[in-house]
This record gives sequence, C-alpha cells and structure tokens, in this order.
Amino acid sequence: MKGTLSLATAEVNRVRRNKRYLIFTVALPVMLYLIFAKQAATVYGVPFKAFYMVGMASFGAFAGAFNNNMIRISQERKDGWIRQLRLTPLPANAYVVAKILASMATTVPSIVVVLLLGRFYGGVTMPIWKWIAIAVAIWLGTLIFAALAVALGYMLRPDSVQPVAMLVYFFFTIFGGLWFPLSGGLRKFGEITPTYRIIAISTDVLANGTISMANVAVILIWLVGFVAFAVLAVRATAEAV
Amino acid sequence: MSHSGTGPVVSFENVSKNYGSLKAVDRLSLDLRPGQTVALLGPNGAGKSTSLDMLLALRKPTSGKIRMFGSDPYHAVKSGRVGAMLQSGGLMPEVTVRELVTLVAGFHPRPVPPETTMKRAGIADIADQRVDRLSGGQTQRVRFALAIAGDCELIVLDEPTTAMDVETRQLFWANMKAEVAEGKTLLFATHYLEEADQAADRILVINRGRLLADGTPAEIKEKAGAKRMSFRLNQVDEPFLLGLPGLVNLEVRNDLVQIQTTDSDDTLYALLDAGYRPRELEVGSLGLEQAFIAITAEDDRAGEPATPADPVPAGFRQQENRETI
Repeated sequence: MKGTLSLATAEVNRVRRNKRYLIFTVALPVMLYLIFAKQAATVYGVPFKAFYMVGMASFGAFAGAFNNNMIRISQERKDGWIRQLRLTPLPANAYVVAKILASMATTVPSIVVVLLLGRFYGGVTMPIWKWIAIAVAIWLGTLIFAALAVALGYMLRPDSVQPVAMLVYFFFTIFGGLWFPLSGGLRKFGEITPTYRIIAISTDVLANGTISMANVAVILIWLVGFVAFAVLAVRATAEAV
Repeated sequence: MSHSGTGPVVSFENVSKNYGSLKAVDRLSLDLRPGQTVALLGPNGAGKSTSLDMLLALRKPTSGKIRMFGSDPYHAVKSGRVGAMLQSGGLMPEVTVRELVTLVAGFHPRPVPPETTMKRAGIADIADQRVDRLSGGQTQRVRFALAIAGDCELIVLDEPTTAMDVETRQLFWANMKAEVAEGKTLLFATHYLEEADQAADRILVINRGRLLADGTPAEIKEKAGAKRMSFRLNQVDEPFLLGLPGLVNLEVRNDLVQIQTTDSDDTLYALLDAGYRPRELEVGSLGLEQAFIAITAEDDRAGEPATPADPVPAGFRQQENRETI
C-alpha cells in the first residue's frame, strides 16, 4: 500500500504542475460562474445562482476525473509506463488504484473553489451540513467518471481518445443539465444520466434537505456498471499492456 | 549480494507461446545458474522479447512451466528480486529523473539510494531534467536506472544498448560488469553477435522460437563459423578449397571466392602454404544472419525435421557487422 500511495502522490504532483488541468477544471468553471450566475430565475426549486454553483462545481470536477485521466491512461499505456510498473514489486492493480486516489484528490479544488464562489460571490446561504452534503455528493460522483476513464483509457489508443472523451463528456454534461437546467422531454431523458441525479441530489438538499433514494440508486447503478466495465477492460488488455 | 540457494535462478520447462498459428516460442527449455551472464541472441522476431515477457509475468505461456527463484514469475517479480528493462517499457512523464528514480526505488523492499543508482546508470548529470525532455540514449539510461533501483539478484535486459551511441554503450557495459561482479545473475537479449561475445559468459541462440545453441561465446562462434573471408584467385581449384582447415561454407563465382571459417588464420595459412596468392583479401566477422544459417543448417542435420533452413540468398554478399560496442 505504501508504494501505491507514493505513486498516487506522484500523480497528484504531476497534475499540480499541469496548467491546462487548472484552467479546465478550476479557471473555466469559475469564469463561467462569474459571467452567468447572477440570474433571477428559480430552477429545480432553488435560485439559479445555487443551481449554477452545483452545475459548475460538477462540470470542473468531472472534467478532472474523466478527460484528464482517460487521456493520460491511454498515453501511458501506449508509452509503456504501465508495463514498466508491472516489472516493479508494486501490486498489479497499483496503477489504477493510484490513478483513482489521485483523481479523488485533484478534483477537490474544483468543488471547493466553486462552492466558495457560490457562497461569497453568488450569495448562496445554507447550513454547514448542506454544504458538506453537496460537496461530498459531487466528490463521490467523480468516481463514476474516474472508472469510465480507466475503462476507455485502457481500450482506446491515444489518437482516438480525444474525440471520444469530448463526445462522452458533452453527452453527460449536457443531458445531465450541468450547463443549463433541463425541462420537458429533455429532462425526462436526462433523468437516466448519473450527472442529472447528482445535480438533483444537490438541489434537493438545498431546497428541502432530503435525499431521494431513487437518485442514489441510479448513481450506484452507473458506478457499478462503469467499475465492471473498467475491470473488464483492464483484464482484456492485460497481455497487451 | 549473491543468490542464497543452489537451484536455478530461472528455469523454462518446455515453454511454448502461440499467437494464433504462429509459434513465437516453441518448446523452450533452459536453466540459468546464479552469477551467470547470459545473452539471449537472435534476430528480430526470434522470440526473445516474448520469452522475456513470459519470464517477467507480462504474458502467460500457452504451455510449459516457468519458475524464477523457485516460484511463479508473478510472485518472483513482486518479491523485488528481479530488476528488468524492456524495449517496450516507458517512463512517467512530467517528473524529473531524480523524482522518478526515487519513486521507483521506493517500490522495492531493498531500495538502492537513488543517488547511487543514478551514478551507476550515468544519469547523475541529468537528475534534474524532466523525463519527457530527454534524448533517446538518455531515456534508455533512465530505464536502466529503474531496473537497478532496487537491490535485486537477477537483472533482465531486453536489447539494452539500442539507441545508445558507441561511448554510451561502453560506459553501459562497464557499469553492468560492476553490477554483475557483486554476484548478480544477468540475462540480456541482443541481436548483436559482438555484444553477446564481449559481455556474456554463456550465449543462448534462439531463432523462430526455438533454442538452437547453448554454449560459451567461443563454442557458439565455432559452431557458426565465425569469420568470413573473401578473395580473388586466378585459378580456382574447388576441391582444394573445400579441404581447407576450418572451412564451414564455400561460394565461388568466377574468380571470387567467399568462405566461412571457424579459424581464418588457419584457413589463410593453408591457402598460402599451398602456393596460392589471393588478391583483394578481406577478412571480417560473420554477419549474424549468416551465422544463423550455419547454425540452423547444423541443427537440421542433427535430425530436427520441423523447420526448413532459411534459403541462402543467391549470390549473397555477406553483411558485415562492424559495429563497435
């Protein structure tokens, strides 16, 4: 475990040095929030500035867990770094475990910075436990995307990984209603996505302090599905790594 | 440190690996003893990398059994008793050389101080450079450093000197000999006959997945007919030439004579003693490809019907392997 943790620490340090990462996962959601948050509307039973805070925090955190990991895993598989690690005494799953741990650490700033912005720029107020519940819901939601990043990163070559990352990510952010609230048929469709359910949990907590089990169930189904997908992808490529 | 037991460090028992209908490795059996420096010699596609991959638990044999330190390859690798460098191994980008060596050393149960490792690998001067901004030769040395970052008993290297210039190669082998002098076992794959000759005390010749020869460099060269000679003669007497000492193979085209011989000195003296005055005499090392033809042919004569020998290209001019290592 010690080796896996030091690998995870090294991964975090790499991400910290990466300016692109900070721009896409922190600076971009902050900028969008500053531009669009101050609207008078009420959506999903909460003020727009509160909805948009949750949306932008999720947008940044999921981009960090998904795009960043998927592209790196694919590249590192091609370069042979994963192979090199398998020649060390590190356990076979150390690479994937370290990636997910590092992802859990590096998505924290996106969430914390945007929530702080919502509080002090947007003027969103609520009891402390609600802040924590929302932050934790989004944070655990990043696991779904980290798992999908592992699966697709192992399966796809670096030259095809970028467009797939964009497509998948736009699908989940648009139909999850991270950019703008969904209504009508679009909302009905969006309900199948884990992203919509994470927003729903957050806005429910904000509006009336409840967490719907249906939302939790949908999120868990996606998580289990993507984890299984990741395990299969890693196993299927074990001989070709 | 030295290997404590007396059993083989590595053993292959009838190991085969098939990719579809291709037999990448075909019933390979061998034992490596502690302290040996062993070269796995063969052309590209001979099955060297596949054999090393299986030894290092990256691939599973289709059949047969591999043991390392008396255990299965996976657990032997995870015990930290093996250090390995593969051609296909990559490095983590966006970190410095020192950070990477320190990180990998930390994975080992008996880490070597990173400064020592970097000195041994000749990368102390680039310790603060970023891994993704190194030249090919520097990258190769960093990969070597990762292989020796832990105090291991067996070192496995797949074509370690590819992408190195002459000077770096010499430095590399000097460092390597220092490692081996501590009692470590070294197994390396190469397609340079000269490299195997200079560095190894035992050579395993492998081609099309099969072990063709196993012996000291002197024995292997003798088997292959290690020198090639060519010269011109005014009157060629083929029966006489065929009787020359050391001769393995003879080709005559008009006045041009090409010979493979196990002892070019003996062959030449016999020719001169018989009164011949060869012109445009050239003596060189045998190209590895031709060495293989010689060994494969002998192998076939010994009664292995399975593989036909490579056809000798008509009127071939032997490729000379003058590369310095």
